[in-house]
Amino acid sequence: MKTIIEIRNLVKKFGDFSAVDNINLDIKEGEIFGLLGPNGAGKTTTISMILGIVKPSSGKILVYGIDNLKEREKIKHIVGLMTQETIVDSELTAYQNLEIAGRLYHISKNDIDAAIQLALEEAELTEFKDKKAGSFSGGMKRRLYLVKSMIQKPKVIILDEPTTGLDIQNRTQMWTRIKELNRKGITTILTTQYLEEADQLCNRIAIIDHGKIIALGTTSELKKMISKGQILEIITNKDSVSRIMDILESKFGLKSTAKEDKIESFVEKDEVETLSKVINTISKEKLPLISISLHLPTLDDVFIKLTGSSMRDTLGENKSDRSSVMLKR
Amino acid sequence: MFEIFGDILTLYKREMMIFKSHIKTNIARSIIFPLMIILVFGNLNSTSSNVGVAVVNYANNQQSMSFINSLSSGRAISVQEVTTQDDALTLLANSNVNAVIVILPTFPSTSSGNPSVVVYYSNFNSQATAAILPLIQSDAQKFGTATSNQNYPAQQKQPATTSIIPLYGTSSSYKIFLVGGVIAMVAAFGTIFGGGMSIITDRELGYLKSFLIAPINKNAIVISKIFSGVTQSFLYIIIALLIGIMDGATIAMGWIGILWIIALGLLISFGFAGITTVLASRITRIEIYTITANIIVMPLWFLSGAFFPTSSLPSFMVPFSVYNPMTYATQGIRDVMIIGYYPISQMVMDVSVLIGFLAFGIIASILLFKNYID
Repeated sequence: MKTIIEIRNLVKKFGDFSAVDNINLDIKEGEIFGLLGPNGAGKTTTISMILGIVKPSSGKILVYGIDNLKEREKIKHIVGLMTQETIVDSELTAYQNLEIAGRLYHISKNDIDAAIQLALEEAELTEFKDKKAGSFSGGMKRRLYLVKSMIQKPKVIILDEPTTGLDIQNRTQMWTRIKELNRKGITTILTTQYLEEADQLCNRIAIIDHGKIIALGTTSELKKMISKGQILEIITNKDSVSRIMDILESKFGLKSTAKEDKIESFVEKDEVETLSKVINTISKEKLPLISISLHLPTLDDVFIKLTGSSMRDTLGENKSDRSSVMLKR
Repeated sequence: MFEIFGDILTLYKREMMIFKSHIKTNIARSIIFPLMIILVFGNLNSTSSNVGVAVVNYANNQQSMSFINSLSSGRAISVQEVTTQDDALTLLANSNVNAVIVILPTFPSTSSGNPSVVVYYSNFNSQATAAILPLIQSDAQKFGTATSNQNYPAQQKQPATTSIIPLYGTSSSYKIFLVGGVIAMVAAFGTIFGGGMSIITDRELGYLKSFLIAPINKNAIVISKIFSGVTQSFLYIIIALLIGIMDGATIAMGWIGILWIIALGLLISFGFAGITTVLASRITRIEIYTITANIIVMPLWFLSGAFFPTSSLPSFMVPFSVYNPMTYATQGIRDVMIIGYYPISQMVMDVSVLIGFLAFGIIASILLFKNYID
């Protein structure tokens, strides 16, 4: 696959603080590339630099071989952005919203109506085209916004947390749309708060923390990277938690953590018998066992292990993070 | 190169569509202020007196009392009763009053050849005198008596009581005085709290980013905001002017005056539109913007003489009024309404100060905004 975005030694400093610290990244044509990281890790700054709205302190970004500092205009036609906030004017109708967007991308007068109609069809909003966007449901607005961000038919679309705040149905719908875009050959860069979303959609994932890429690969590569072992999860009743933890420690040498009635432990060596041995020991002691499982780490585990923080913990800070990037300069 | 005009037009169209969808609220909001100020304050004050007149009543009868009452009621005359003619003429000579009315003992006399009211006036303040003489005359005629007017030389000394006359105008209507001030006010406020202010919400909600990632000239964003603010001001100027005219304000310059008033109002709103974008590109929260904008615009407005003549300000505050672009808009609009074709030098002064302010506002906003987004 052809590399279409090349990021080389990218650095962005706000005063003494390095928001992006020497990032190198290749994004290939037609893939869905996930960019994950806790808040303030440098995702938004990186995206803003790809779009050419934030100037890098040093380093280089080539999009389809075009230097985005030298030919910003061209890049803007190639790269689209859909942000976490739904940016449609609620006072304007769906048609007017698309018309304004189309004109800002200098679509010629002859083509603009066709482009808008096509976009409306894609968003399944043709029958609502003369209704004000303010009267739309969250999902409709989101669909309108997606086609609006792609009115110039970009080759690359950056989706900055595309499903944040959507309910399950709308989220699944959005996933289908993202997959559709991908089938059409549009390269997608995705940031998300939901790791299962990245797990589902992304071909490759980069995890950013403190402005550096700390891991890069497919989801299974990432999972294997953090451990060759598996996670043992036991659910029992509260009273027996401490005794089971003692048993795991003394008989199997497993350190474990407990939360309410759940015990988690990490099994480094992938022994087939561990699970059955543990079950046997616990039942011999006549301790209650509601559920027990041994599984591969999830992307959440990878994330927490690598960055030392959980994404969702800091969900609320996201907005200030975004505006601070705009403000700090 | 010329794409910027298309971009400005597109963004301006968006601004206007948003404005239009809130048109009722916007107009209601813009009407309430001028309506209240013009109707309440303009009319509240309509019976107050401005031109000082000394009255010597030698007749001292029922009719002469009611003559004095009719002089002082509901008109521009402030009556001061004096016992002797000599005292009254001293007041006139010192320019403490504009005229002296002597009511002779024969009042009311119906004989036309023998006036029983003598009016002494000075030429020191000819505008005021010209305004009150017919008033005195018509009042005297109600009692069937004639008046005799005599010019009396006044000493050239600035009289405290008459200095305000040319400011309020010969018709001495505070309403017209006020309408000029209110038009300048709605022009400034229309842009301060419209147009460029939306940069803050656009940034907060992400719209600004969506403009910035589009291949447009960034200056188009600022310029379209400035024009949208000025358009809103234009609407408010028209509304304030209509309210004023319907309430009885007159324009001395006539129909051309309307164009002049609008032009002066637009000049000041362009300037403030620039200031608005400068502020809005630096301030991130709408609450803080509102406070800051009020802190800036309230004193400017207050010291511009919108409500009272700037000459009545204490001397230490006069510089604040002189170095205040709003003073020139208020003054200009008021002169058009009260004096008509006001002295050309004053006109040149007003217009050039406003153009200077406009240029400053627009250049600063473009430079600072560019600086801010790069």
